[in-house]
Amino acid sequence: MAFPNVYQSPGFEFANEVRNNYLAEKGMPLPKATSTGTTIVGCLFKDGIVLGADTRATEGPIVADKNSADTEFTTALISSNMELHALETGRKPRVVTAMTMLKQMLYRYQGHIGAALVLGGVDATGPHLFTIHPHGSTDKLPYVTMGSGSLAAMAVFETGWRPNMEREDALKLVKAAIAAGIFNDLGSGSNIDACIITANHTEMLRNVEMPNQRVQKERDYKFRRGTTAWKKEDIRKFVVDEQITLIGGDEMDTS
Amino acid sequence: MQSFVDRYSTTSAVSQLRKVQRLAEEDDEYSDATWGSGAGFGNIMKGSPAFTVPNVPDPTSFLRLHTDDRADPSCRIKIQHGTTTLAFRFQGGVIVAVDSRATAGSYIASGTVKKVIEINPYLLGTMAGGAADCQYWETYLGMHCRLHELRNRERISVSAASKYLSNLVYSYKGMGLSMGTMICGWDKTGPAVFYVDSDGTRLKGDLFSVGSGSTFAYGVLDQGYRWDLTDEEAQELGRRSIYAAGHRDAFSGNTCNLYHVKEDGWKFIGNYDISQMHYEGPGNVPGAPGGGYGYDQRVVGRSSANPPEVVAAAAA
Amino acid sequence: MSIMDQNGGSVIAMVGKECVAIASDLRMGNQALGISSNFQRIFPVTDRIFLGMPGLATDVTTLHERLRFRLNMYTIKEEREIAPETFAHLVSSTLYEHRFGPYFIEPVMAGISKTPTGKYKPFIAATDLIGCLNFAKDFVVAGTASSKLYGVAEGLWEPDLEPEDLFETISQTLMNAVDRDAFSGWGCIVHVITKDKVITRTLKGRMD
Repeated sequence: MAFPNVYQSPGFEFANEVRNNYLAEKGMPLPKATSTGTTIVGCLFKDGIVLGADTRATEGPIVADKNSADTEFTTALISSNMELHALETGRKPRVVTAMTMLKQMLYRYQGHIGAALVLGGVDATGPHLFTIHPHGSTDKLPYVTMGSGSLAAMAVFETGWRPNMEREDALKLVKAAIAAGIFNDLGSGSNIDACIITANHTEMLRNVEMPNQRVQKERDYKFRRGTTAWKKEDIRKFVVDEQITLIGGDEMDTS
Repeated sequence: MQSFVDRYSTTSAVSQLRKVQRLAEEDDEYSDATWGSGAGFGNIMKGSPAFTVPNVPDPTSFLRLHTDDRADPSCRIKIQHGTTTLAFRFQGGVIVAVDSRATAGSYIASGTVKKVIEINPYLLGTMAGGAADCQYWETYLGMHCRLHELRNRERISVSAASKYLSNLVYSYKGMGLSMGTMICGWDKTGPAVFYVDSDGTRLKGDLFSVGSGSTFAYGVLDQGYRWDLTDEEAQELGRRSIYAAGHRDAFSGNTCNLYHVKEDGWKFIGNYDISQMHYEGPGNVPGAPGGGYGYDQRVVGRSSANPPEVVAAAAA
Repeated sequence: MSIMDQNGGSVIAMVGKECVAIASDLRMGNQALGISSNFQRIFPVTDRIFLGMPGLATDVTTLHERLRFRLNMYTIKEEREIAPETFAHLVSSTLYEHRFGPYFIEPVMAGISKTPTGKYKPFIAATDLIGCLNFAKDFVVAGTASSKLYGVAEGLWEPDLEPEDLFETISQTLMNAVDRDAFSGWGCIVHVITKDKVITRTLKGRMD
């Protein structure tokens, strides 16, 4: 008996490679995937790490740069593997572990996975802050910036960062660094996300500052019903609630 | 007596010619203000007009670098390419029909372009390729046709006018001009259509169509063309051909402009919305069959998509 | 000439009050030549989820079949209907599996799901061709007319539209946008998904 092949091997699928390369040769290059600029930063303070990001275009994880799909799936994969790792070892996970897993994966793909990340956290060995580049190289620094807005953000850190800052001062500095990216880099924009990680608590601050709120539209353009001419209509009605009427009088014997 | 009148008249042909010649000879004495009165053709009498060219070693390739959107889609200057124009000669004159769409890449920049250039009351030109090239040179051609009238006391033949244009564009060959045009009119020989393009080609013929939608227009045109078409039939054929092109070709569409050239000059017949022609037809015009041109409209109740009532009932 | 413009076509989805709408044009062409004015690129996924796939026509068919297979496997394993959010991730991961040999499709999804309080929550999302998800609260667009759709939708959309008003807004947005795009048009189809019905209308669009 023939079974349909329902098993799919995990990992990437290269089935369309040949076709797409042929098309590229014919002068139809691969279209660009979304790759908006961003500003992502992180800095060390007295009790831990503060991370920050702008929120232009893609919402979601606060570490996202270069290719959006790449960062999204890479972080999801590593976070999943970190969970398994923690369960297997029975120990709390460490920042270096995540960093090593990320850099090993990115190195293996030789830069084809365009993920650039800022990774920060606090573990048994203390606070750690890393940047990870698409080819797998990493830095460990007290304050870091990445993305197209990294120059603007780094300018703020270089002038404002001090060792052993207070929590509120560090958050203020991160907000200023992201704001510098938002206002001075065209690729970055919208709101500020921040995250404060300490030894026993993580505070996620989504849209902690919203400097680009839209003003109310001065007019609206509601169309009178029946404006659009249509040729054909098909309405599919659902059964939203049903009433059961028993036939035959007696209730069913369920004993 | 005639020469005496000519000498002192300000409106006779001879005096106008004299004025133009004097203008040309004493050009230096005229300020820039005069240039404006020449409608941009101020140097018309110096033989062929002189253009300012970019100050680079090779102006031709410099222009091509910035205008060839086929080689480089991100080039700075985009020249309009997509279009459908047609003209044909028949017993009752010449029919000229064009669409009105202008595209820049996939963007429809305008749907109300005038692609028929009214050179003078007896001559029409069509616009395909570079819109500016066609507009400028066909207006320029109009000025020379007028000078021809003044000099020779008779209207220029369509043949001579089109040859003037083809010789002119040939002198600019390889410099980046882009035009595919039909010069249409009525002269001593009767109705005439000439195809002229920027390569320097000049063809006399009964029936031409130019542009990205020309293949679709030819399809309808060839099928319905006869020399002894009536005026109404001919106008309908022109309209129907432009509709076909506007429907199928992504770079043609919006509206159709229809002209008819007869012995006493050209006449604008009308402007027809191509989408309206699809659903309802061109309206109450002579020659129209009534009803829309669209396939679904023509075969309603007769195609597999919407089968006739009787058959549907029998099948059920 | 991009491969994404080969066949043309555009899709838009909009959020309304306890309803969503998804609409697309009906053209399928070969570059400038129009081939079909009745091409389906929006597919029903469940009763209350629809998926639109602008891009290369061959991949519309292939990806539709592949997603149908994956969806059936999900439904069999889970013994329940998929939620819109989950379906968006299913589409996203299917596309990302082909990260280095992608399908030339930029999917747009629209659906509604029942909340524990008994209300219906609208959901729309779009991804790029390798599956980067974009959840929006107002509208999402994709296809050859996307830049024009963004402009018109930005001007016309407003929050909390009732189904019939949402129909007018999405229809006018789509029709006016595709009239400025050479590769989209030739008629439109609109689906408005509400809690108790799906209204599907074929619009009378320009045919040039």
